[in-house]
Amino acid sequence: MNTQYDVLVVGAGIAGEESALKLADMGFRVLLIEKEPSIGGKMILLSKVFPTLDCAACITTPKVSETARHPNITLLTLTEADSIIKENNGSFSVTLKKHPRYVIEKDCTGCQECETVCPSIVDDQFQFNLVARKAVYIPFNIANPRVALIDIENCMLCGSCEQKCPSNAIDFSQKEEIIQVKVNAVIVATGFNLFDPTLIPRYGFGKYKNVITSMQMERELAPTRPFNNILRPSDGKTPDKIAYIFCTGSRDQTCGNAICSQVCCMYSTKQAQLLMGALPMADITMYYINIRAFGKGFNEFYMQAKDMGAKYVKGKVASVSEKENGNLILRYEDIATGKVTESEHDLVVLSVGLLANPAITSVFKDETLEIDASKYIKQPELLQSPALTSIKGVFVAGTATAPMDIPDTIMSAGAAAAETSGYLKQLS
Amino acid sequence: MKKKIGVYVCHCGGNISDYVDIEKVKDAVKDEANVYLLKNTLFACSDSSQKGMVDDIKTSELDAIVVASCSPKLHVPTFRGVAARAGLNPYNYVQVNIREQSSWAHSDQPTGATEKAILLVKAGIARAAESQALTPIKIPTTNATAVIGAGIGGMRSAIALADMGTEVYLIEKEMSVGGHVANWGNLFTANINGNELAASLHNEIKKRPNIKLFTNAELTEKKGSIGNFDIKVKSGNETLPLHIGAFVVNTGFAPYEPVSGEYHFGEYDNVITLPEFKKLIDTPASELVYKGKTIKKIAYIYCVGSRQDEEGDNKYCSRYCCTAAIHSSIQVKSKFKNITNLHFNRGIRTYGKQELHYEESSKNGDIYLQFSLDSIPQIEKKGNKTIVKVKDILTAGKELETEADLIVLVTGMVPRKNENLTNQLKIPVGRDNFFNEIHMKLRPVETVIDGVFIAGTCQSPKNILETLNSSMAAAAKANSILTKGEMSLEPTLAMVNPAACNLCDNCFEACQFDAIVQTEYEGRKVAKINVSNCKGCGMCTPVCPTDAIDLADFTNAQIESMIDALTE
Repeated sequence: MNTQYDVLVVGAGIAGEESALKLADMGFRVLLIEKEPSIGGKMILLSKVFPTLDCAACITTPKVSETARHPNITLLTLTEADSIIKENNGSFSVTLKKHPRYVIEKDCTGCQECETVCPSIVDDQFQFNLVARKAVYIPFNIANPRVALIDIENCMLCGSCEQKCPSNAIDFSQKEEIIQVKVNAVIVATGFNLFDPTLIPRYGFGKYKNVITSMQMERELAPTRPFNNILRPSDGKTPDKIAYIFCTGSRDQTCGNAICSQVCCMYSTKQAQLLMGALPMADITMYYINIRAFGKGFNEFYMQAKDMGAKYVKGKVASVSEKENGNLILRYEDIATGKVTESEHDLVVLSVGLLANPAITSVFKDETLEIDASKYIKQPELLQSPALTSIKGVFVAGTATAPMDIPDTIMSAGAAAAETSGYLKQLS
Repeated sequence: MKKKIGVYVCHCGGNISDYVDIEKVKDAVKDEANVYLLKNTLFACSDSSQKGMVDDIKTSELDAIVVASCSPKLHVPTFRGVAARAGLNPYNYVQVNIREQSSWAHSDQPTGATEKAILLVKAGIARAAESQALTPIKIPTTNATAVIGAGIGGMRSAIALADMGTEVYLIEKEMSVGGHVANWGNLFTANINGNELAASLHNEIKKRPNIKLFTNAELTEKKGSIGNFDIKVKSGNETLPLHIGAFVVNTGFAPYEPVSGEYHFGEYDNVITLPEFKKLIDTPASELVYKGKTIKKIAYIYCVGSRQDEEGDNKYCSRYCCTAAIHSSIQVKSKFKNITNLHFNRGIRTYGKQELHYEESSKNGDIYLQFSLDSIPQIEKKGNKTIVKVKDILTAGKELETEADLIVLVTGMVPRKNENLTNQLKIPVGRDNFFNEIHMKLRPVETVIDGVFIAGTCQSPKNILETLNSSMAAAAKANSILTKGEMSLEPTLAMVNPAACNLCDNCFEACQFDAIVQTEYEGRKVAKINVSNCKGCGMCTPVCPTDAIDLADFTNAQIESMIDALTE
């Protein structure tokens, strides 16, 4: 592997992919690293996207495979930046940690024979724990690379997969690799974290089976969905009275996130439209504070959801309790009447917010990558050069800077590519 | 005639297979002439599936492939790439759309959707059998762009392009640069003034020798296509010819002007718009005075010109106005004493970090009242007092009324009228009359016109940060195409069989791109295609009385064989 690159892009979600592709098209040599076993970030796991209702997988896979195949992009999955140190000449000395896959990437054909014999069954994080997977597994159907890996913490080391693999791709002797590279610029495209709804115990997530997150509903609605139907977890019943609780973990100082997550109103509205298509008889009620349908075509999309029959109730839900049959009682202040009200639903979806993911800051050793009050990467020249950070030569793209939707992410990533290219041209 | 055709029928997750019976489709086409290999796939576009196709083409030595999946708009480049990697000419691949044209269009009739899919796949196989290998045309390109509009977005596009090594002609209609922002004071989310921001960007422009700024200028002529446009720019009394590779259109918005009488605008002298209010609070004074009257109590009425619901109205949200109004209300309170702010809104949309402004304003003691479109606030004069009445959603529909010294109409953005430019560049507009991008999610700065990129508020309402991001993204896209110095053009162009041509003039009249010229053939005059002008639109082929014109990749033989397959 080459040890000199023009740019290191950290994170291969849509922001990292877009920045990497633009720079690679301009002729720069890009090293793109991703800590997960597949690239594609969160978008590749979505069902459809608002307000166009395009199938997320269909529109993102071309970008994913273009990224994986571009001659100017070197892609490393299961790889994290361990340290990034600025040299005297302005370039960066980067230490990468490549975690073992325990599968020889070039030999694995993705046949999934190994999964059939693995005895260890664990929650499938890529299906947001709705179903289980094996300890040896392909992350998801449209993963890239579509290659198995072994989750060694849950592996019993029985060796069944090794015996079963028709191409001898299993390799338990793999070790963590330390890779040293030199780059002239870094783009931070590390995305966001999803809000953990167990931090709001009064909504009952983790305690009541029929309280799920919006990401779990995304999976239920996705083309590569786990059940091929919309089911509620407690008894597999098809729900017919679904509630959405907006602003779960957003605009809420009690859980440490004062800002609005910018996408939840719209993704919930999109899910409501998809659910009304999938379950024409179901009632869908949206409990909201304000509807933030601000982008191109968003307000029209919101009005369309209302016209289709989604019921929007202005009122912040205070708490959720469970009945014996698994149904849930929501208690809220109905703003329209000014009264505290209760209503019963058979499935509750929490519209969870986006949180900053500032872990990358600890990787920069000699200079500080500053963050803002909301813990997103600080943009010191926000209204002049939004891709700049507190470190010269380090740029930022996408939801690493703030919550944002897909088009805003693509534009932010394009801006980061432009800024980086200008910087690299100036260096040479 | 291609003999070994590979056919792939895609489930598209369930997008196709939920309605179209894939097995039935396979069964119906398996005995079609020339079908050598037939497979179904969950996602034809996934990397693993692409790899499988490459292997199939190589090992079975296929001479054409048919992919029956989604719209060609999405994946033609993907599967052309598959063919190329397998050593097959990309034009020996045919895309069949059984998603938009079958499963999605006929989701209420799975049987019919399946029957239609079968016929479409058969037609695709027939077309592939008649397909021919074609080679893209390589042309040299010019690494120069015209950026239209020197507001903050246009200036930022220009700076980014210049820094990436692209020559920039920055064309501004007005005498000065900076657009609307140059007239604004303090801006939200960053502690900077609009006029300072505009001046600072202007200064950066002056530092760069590869940016040429034309003020009082407009585009008067455009010829050519991506990579090589010949344009004329009129600046003052001078008209300059320029050669460029791409356009970045950054023409901005127009502020919504309330119609006369809307909330008594133009009738009551203390009803003003948000831009007027911003100017008012920027004037240095110790007391807020408007038309001789001291202002203490300000009523802001939101969504004026936005989120309307009548046909022909602006149904969209203007995105920036909630935060801009709240930010102004914070400014006015910090600058002047004893101000009361009353926000008559339709649900505050301070998305993202802008929420912090809303919180600050709430902590300042501002009062928020919410109305719905069917019951908008009423403004009345009682003597010399102005009264605002509202049915307030936030207090369970109570009828409230209050006095106000000044009414600020929080006006939104509307698309600018740019008929000259729209006619020159032929950029399509959407239902909201803003310029339309080619794909809202993943290609937000590209248009259907190759080489014409859009950025900033001409595409849709945006705040400054979003305008800058889109402006720089458009710059990155334009540069990434032009920096190579050459590009490939589609070889799907018209071609004349000179032996059959009688030079009747029909094709000259049909062509909108001046792509048909005269030439000599065996001592007589015949038509000939100028490939650098031909767009492959196909307008000339049906008007030819002797079938002397054919369109590559859409030849008469291909089209006729498809019709035969569809009607058999």
